[in-house]
Amino acid sequence: MYGSPSLKQLLPLALLLLAALAASLQLPDYFIYISNLLMVYLILAIGLDIVMGWAGQFAFAHVAFYGIGMYGTALLHMRLGLPFIIGMPIAALVAALVGLLIALPATKLRTVYLALATFAFAECAQWTFRTWDKLTGGPDGLRVTAGNVLGFSITNDRQAMPVVAVLLIAVLAATLFLQRSSLGRCFFAIRDSEYVAIASGIDPKRTKVLALCISALYAGIAGGASTLFQSYIHPDSLGSWTLILLLSMVVVGGSASVAGVALGVVLLGLLPELLRAAPKGVLVWQELIYGLLLMVSVIFMPRGIWGSLQTFRKTRRRSKT
Amino acid sequence: MSAFFRIRGVTMRFGGLVALNDFSMDVTQGSIHALIGPNGAGKSTLLNCISGFCKPQQGEITLQGRKLLAEPAHNIVRLGVGRTFQNIEQLRQMTVLENVLVGLASTMPRYLPFLPGAKRSRAEAQAVAQAETILEQLELASFRNVPAGALDFGRQKMLDFARALASKPSLLLLDEPAAGLRNREIGFLDEFLVRLVQERGITVLLVEHVMQLVMSVANQVTVVNFGQKIAEGSPQQIRSDPAVIEAYLGKEDAHA
Repeated sequence: MYGSPSLKQLLPLALLLLAALAASLQLPDYFIYISNLLMVYLILAIGLDIVMGWAGQFAFAHVAFYGIGMYGTALLHMRLGLPFIIGMPIAALVAALVGLLIALPATKLRTVYLALATFAFAECAQWTFRTWDKLTGGPDGLRVTAGNVLGFSITNDRQAMPVVAVLLIAVLAATLFLQRSSLGRCFFAIRDSEYVAIASGIDPKRTKVLALCISALYAGIAGGASTLFQSYIHPDSLGSWTLILLLSMVVVGGSASVAGVALGVVLLGLLPELLRAAPKGVLVWQELIYGLLLMVSVIFMPRGIWGSLQTFRKTRRRSKT
Repeated sequence: MSAFFRIRGVTMRFGGLVALNDFSMDVTQGSIHALIGPNGAGKSTLLNCISGFCKPQQGEITLQGRKLLAEPAHNIVRLGVGRTFQNIEQLRQMTVLENVLVGLASTMPRYLPFLPGAKRSRAEAQAVAQAETILEQLELASFRNVPAGALDFGRQKMLDFARALASKPSLLLLDEPAAGLRNREIGFLDEFLVRLVQERGITVLLVEHVMQLVMSVANQVTVVNFGQKIAEGSPQQIRSDPAVIEAYLGKEDAHA
C-alpha cells in the first residue's frame, strides 16, 4: 500500500466515532461496558497485528506492554495526580521503551525462538505485577480512582466511552496512515522476504525493533484506556489467556488488515455474550466453541474471514467479466 | 588507473568447503560482464559476497574506490549495487507496484508514518510515478495491483529485475535472469540489457547459464570453476578456450 488513506477509507472511521458517541448516550450500561472492552481489545489486537501480521515477527509479549500501560496510567494518576492526557501517553511511551529494550536482544531470534522468549517475558511481567504488592496491589489488584480527562472526572463507564472511542479512532486513523507509509511497506517486506528487503536497503534489525516498539505503544495506549472503565485492575487479565484471545481475534478476523482484525475482535468479543444469551447449558461449551472456531478458521480460512471474503469477491468479479 | 569495480583475492570458506579461492576480477564501467561456470563453481557465492550477504574471510571488493566488505548488507544498495535473486525471491503477498516501491526504499526521504503531510504526499507520489515508469519499461504495468506471488514465472523474474532497477544502481548484479524464461522473454531481456547499458551507463555483472544470452550481450566473460578464475576474455575467445571446454565437457581423454 502507498500514498495516504483516501477519504473513502477514513469516512467509516468518522461515522464509527459518531456512532460511538451517540451510543454512549443511549446504550444500556451492560453494553457500554462491552463496547469499551471491545474498543480496547481492538487497539490491542491492531498492535499485535502490526508486529505479527505486518512484520511477520511472532513476538508475544503484548500483554506485558498492556499491563505497563494499565498500571502506569493508574499509578501516575493515583500517586502523582497526573491527569489522563499526560499520564496515559507517558505510560504508553514507557511500554514502547520497554518494548525497545526487549526488541534489541529479541530481534536476533526468529520464529518459535522469538515466540518463546517474548512469551517468557510476558510471564515474568505478569509475575511482577502479581508480586510487587506495594506498587501494584499484588494479586488483589489495584482499585482505580476516577480518571481525570481534560478536567472532567470520569466516574462511570458511560463517561469513559467517548474518551475510549476518540482514542480508538485516532489509533485506527494512524494505523491506516502507517499501513500506506514507506515504513509500513518495510514491515511487509521483511515479512515476505528478508533477503529482498536487505537488498533493497532496508535494515531488518531496525525495522523489527520499530515494529515491536509501535506494537508496544499501541498496547500501552490500550492499557491506559482500560483504566477509565475498569474499577479494578489486576494481573489475571494479563496472562496467556488474553494473549491467546488476541491472537485468535487477529487470525480469525484476518491479519494484516485493519478491517479484518476489527471483524475478529467483534466476533470473538461478542461470542461469550451471545453464548450467555443462548439456552442454559451452552455456556459450558464456551471454551470448546472457541477452540473449534479457531481450528476451523485456520484450516479453511488461513487468511481469516476477511481474507476469504476478499478472495470470494475477486473471483466473483472475475467470473462476471 | 583503478578499475570501476574490482575484486581482489576474495576467499570464502564454508566450513571445510572453499567456495571462492583467492578470486580476483575487474569490471569495466558501462560494460556487461558475464560470469559463467558449472554449477557450484562459486558464482552465486561471489554475488552474495558483493551484496554483503556473505562475508569472505579474505579479500577486498571496491566499487569506485569504496570498500564494500566493511558495510552491512542493507547499506550496499546505497553504494550503488543492485541485485536480483536466482531462486525467485519475491515479496509474494505485496502487489507488483509495492514490490517496486520497496525497491525504491533506499531513495525515499523519511517522514512521519502516522500522519498526513506535504513531505509524505510528495515522497509517495514521486515514488509511485518512478515505480510506474519502471513497470512500463518491463511490460508489467497492467499487473500493478496483482500480488507478486500470482504472477507467472517469467513475469516474476522481470519484477525482481524491476525492483533491483528501482534503486538506480550503478552496478547491477543479475543472478541467472534468463533461467527458465521462454525464447521471446530472453529476446526481450537481451534488448533491454543492451539498452540499459547504452542509455543509462549502468554496469552489469551477469551470472548466467543461458549461453545464447551471454554470447549476445556480454562484452567480457569470466569463467569460474571450483572457486577460481579459469579463463577471461571476449565471448569469442572464451568459446574456443580449451580450459573452458574442459570445465564444461570434461577432458577428452577422460572418456577415451
